[in-house]
Amino acid sequence: MRKKTIWVVDDDPIYQIIINKIIQRSEMFSEIFSYKNGKEAIDNLSEVIDKDGDLPDIILLDINMPVMDGWEFMEALGEIQPKFKRQIIVYIVSSSIAVEDKNTSKTYTNILGYLSKPVSVNDLLLIASND
Amino acid sequence: MKSQKKNNKHVKWFYERPKLTGIITFLFLSYIVGFIVFQQYKLATEDNTREMTSILHVVRQNIEQSLKNCYTTTLSLALTIDDSGYPTDFDTISKALIEANENITTVELVPNGVIKYIYPLDKNQEALNLNILQDNNLKKEALKSIATHKMYFAGPLKLRQGGEAIVGRLPIFIKSKFWGFSAVVIDLEKLLNSAGISNIDSSKYYFQFSKLNLESHKETFHLSNKADFTNHANISVKIPDGDWKLYIISKKENNIPYQILVPGIIGIILAALFGILIFTLLRMPNELQSLVTAQAKKLMNSEIKFETIFDQAAVGIAHVDSFTGRFIQVNNQYCKLLGYTQQEIQELNYQTLTHPDDLNDDLTSIDKLRDGQITDYSREKRYISKDGTVIWINLTVSPLIKTDGKVISHIAIIEDISIKKEAEQLIKKSEIRFKSLFEDYPIALWEKDFSLVRNYLVELDLMHKSAEEVKKYLGTHPEVVIKAMTLIRVIDVNTMCMKLHNAENKEELTVGFQKLIGERYSCNFANHILAITQGENEIIAETIIKTAHGEPRDVKFRWSVISGFEESLARTIVSTEDITVQKQSENIIKKSQQRVESLINTIDGIVWEFDTETDRYNFVSKKIESILGYTAEEWISNSVFWPEHIHPDDKDWVVKYCENQTDAHLNHDFEYRMIKKDGTIVWLRDIVNVVVENGKPVTLRGIMIDVTKTKEAEKDLNASFDLVSEQNKRLLNFSYIISHNLRSHTSNIASIVSLIESSESEEERNDMMELLKTVSRSLNETMLHLNEVINIRTNISLVSESLNLEDNITRVKNILSKQINSNEVTIITEIPKDTVINYNPAYLESILYNIILNSIRYKHPNRKPLIKITFTSENNVKILKISDNGIGIDLDRNGDKVFGMYKTFTDNSDSKGIGLFITKNQIDAMGGNITVESEINIGTTFKIYIL
Repeated sequence: MRKKTIWVVDDDPIYQIIINKIIQRSEMFSEIFSYKNGKEAIDNLSEVIDKDGDLPDIILLDINMPVMDGWEFMEALGEIQPKFKRQIIVYIVSSSIAVEDKNTSKTYTNILGYLSKPVSVNDLLLIASND
Repeated sequence: MKSQKKNNKHVKWFYERPKLTGIITFLFLSYIVGFIVFQQYKLATEDNTREMTSILHVVRQNIEQSLKNCYTTTLSLALTIDDSGYPTDFDTISKALIEANENITTVELVPNGVIKYIYPLDKNQEALNLNILQDNNLKKEALKSIATHKMYFAGPLKLRQGGEAIVGRLPIFIKSKFWGFSAVVIDLEKLLNSAGISNIDSSKYYFQFSKLNLESHKETFHLSNKADFTNHANISVKIPDGDWKLYIISKKENNIPYQILVPGIIGIILAALFGILIFTLLRMPNELQSLVTAQAKKLMNSEIKFETIFDQAAVGIAHVDSFTGRFIQVNNQYCKLLGYTQQEIQELNYQTLTHPDDLNDDLTSIDKLRDGQITDYSREKRYISKDGTVIWINLTVSPLIKTDGKVISHIAIIEDISIKKEAEQLIKKSEIRFKSLFEDYPIALWEKDFSLVRNYLVELDLMHKSAEEVKKYLGTHPEVVIKAMTLIRVIDVNTMCMKLHNAENKEELTVGFQKLIGERYSCNFANHILAITQGENEIIAETIIKTAHGEPRDVKFRWSVISGFEESLARTIVSTEDITVQKQSENIIKKSQQRVESLINTIDGIVWEFDTETDRYNFVSKKIESILGYTAEEWISNSVFWPEHIHPDDKDWVVKYCENQTDAHLNHDFEYRMIKKDGTIVWLRDIVNVVVENGKPVTLRGIMIDVTKTKEAEKDLNASFDLVSEQNKRLLNFSYIISHNLRSHTSNIASIVSLIESSESEEERNDMMELLKTVSRSLNETMLHLNEVINIRTNISLVSESLNLEDNITRVKNILSKQINSNEVTIITEIPKDTVINYNPAYLESILYNIILNSIRYKHPNRKPLIKITFTSENNVKILKISDNGIGIDLDRNGDKVFGMYKTFTDNSDSKGIGLFITKNQIDAMGGNITVESEINIGTTFKIYIL
């Protein structure tokens, strides 16, 4: 099985360190990229498309972020989606327990799941195998 | 014949123009007079000229004769000269010659132009030896005679010895050689006298003698009386021997003589008089003619008038044969009345047209008229028209032609009186009808005579006095009322009247009327008298009368004067309608009405009724006074009172809603505000019933209930509900914040712990422990922040102080001086001096600090930060405004998050997302509010509302 690339979009630097560790432990992903907010992530996506580079297989997306939050990122992603060769799978990873956020996530077809922090190695294993 | 006609025509032309003819006559006669006078004048002038010519001729002949004599003398003298050129016997011969010719005064011989021989010498010494051919005066004339070889008379010359003289010189040639002159000197006066000048009538004529100068051809006159005579009649003749001219001149001036002028003027006057005479004569027939024309015109007019009257008259006129009754001539109206044509009617006689019932009377009258017993007659009778209908007419017959005292024909004038007759019959009928109406009328009627009452009032001088005056008088004189009442005479009463009074017969009421009148009536009668004095013809009143049995009855009393008796009041009708039963039921109704009204007035709401047709309120209950403060009259009298007193914010929709509901025939129940008389607002609930008749809303009935208190309670309830909701929302929000912020830390801690547990190396474990410490610090910080917010929220006894705004700003600027200086920030404050606000000092400092720090932190990279702080206070609203020229916030995207906890919009590492969160909480805690306006790349403005 090919190892997948994963992007983590979250403004919490501690979380970034932790998730990196967990992803490494899971040994399911070939590459990990971290982005501080939606804007950084979408800019990089556009760049990848332009350079015809490797698109991420999975994006772990936080909701509350400065500059561009998770929902805004999803809107921007929808706009550049047609340029992709394949669909990008997105998982919302949030500490929010608000029901509205969960409901909102269901309106996007490429959001496959809603994970509440903390994220465990098992969660990642499931994500990686869920294809 | 034709020419005569033509002549007549011309004569007529003149006849018709008297003025012109007069003028022509005058001009013609004037011309004749002028011609005759002129001819006379011409004859007189010719006579005169002839006389003068003959005189002049004689004189000239005489002069010429004299000159010839002189010639002879000179010739004779010349013959004395011998061949040698010397005269012989000069003196002797000369003497003889002078004696022979008395005109000659001197004779001379002038050899070679030098006067050598003179006789008589003694008088002419001076002339001796004078060379005339060298003398300038004499030379020319002397030379002329030499040249012509003829004797020439020079002069007249002035003589040295006095007087004027002519010198005749005869040139003498011996053997064709000029020898000299033989000359004679002639006295001019003598010459002329001898010619006969003095023999003429000197009163009529005089002479003049002139010499024509040889060189200058100028004429010089030599006789006295040298005045200019060109205006006088004159004739002249030339005498060539001396180049003289002899004139005979009339003494009178050459003007039209008076003897000609006078007859001329007289003639012209006569011509004028004759012209006027002609004019006057010619005019007379013209005037007569016009008089005749006018008369003829008058005559014709009256004939036309008569014909017109006959034809167009509104009455029928017929000329009838008195024996046969045949119509000789009828006019159009006559035919029209009877429906026949002129031709048809000429075939008929009046007997056939007359109604058989009226014919006998008619025939008798005609007989009488014919016999002269009566001169004319007139009667109403019936005719039968062509279509068979009976026409009532008024006939007037008068005789037209009489022979031997008998009437042969007469004029009949008929007038249609059918309508009048009809009316008469109608009147008759209605009279009967009214009589029965009176008798059988279901209400008691009296016919009363008030004339005595009126006379009495006249006697008392009460008629047409002012109402107050009469009232006062009657009050003080009750006996007058009683007296007046006795003066009423009852003429008639009807059956009902007898019934009402239980009377057996009419007399009981007519004669015994006085007994019936109760005391109460007398009081009313005073009013009755008052009305009569005011000239009123009708009185309606309610009163009580007694029946014949003494039973009191309520009656409606109506008194009215029969038309035509308004002055005398001799006939009046009194109706007394028994309204006892009606009164009773009226009282019942009144009572129940009062009950309903009192019931309505006790209802705690304004009961009202509105008529949609008149667009007015019929009724508004008294409650209006306590609910709205207005009176029912105010409301009802003004048709727009209701809409005008609705609260301006409600007026439009309420009126519209009400109209729509009414038009849809729907009862409605709604609430709105009205303005009370004292200006306060009253909430009303209006419950409206729409009454529909024949598919149309006719009446609206409703009740307005004061719901102000309910409304206020509702408002309070709403306010507290809003407050609770808001707090609940905040609480929920806060709980989200707490859970989110704590959860992110706790989840991190959980993850780290599990990583530690499963870590394989000590190093990794240590790393994780370090991370755990960081999370712990972060959690602690969050807890502090949350604690702070909770403090703000729960701090009920927040201390407010009066703070000088400017001082506080200065203090914050000092705290931030490092940032301000390093970023080259300019802060402008526009705050009214000594502005003091009531605020918690720590909060104010925190608010100013956070916002100013934000402005510096989010400055625009391309420009130096500029912060402007202003303070305004308007309508009790105090606003502290802080604007910057920073990068701005995209409010479309982040508007709801600006004041959220840990909400940041940039990747600025300084951003924590706590400053504005705290700020907002502090402002909320002080009871104020904060708003934000921002534009990307332009700047941000925070407005802080301070209570």
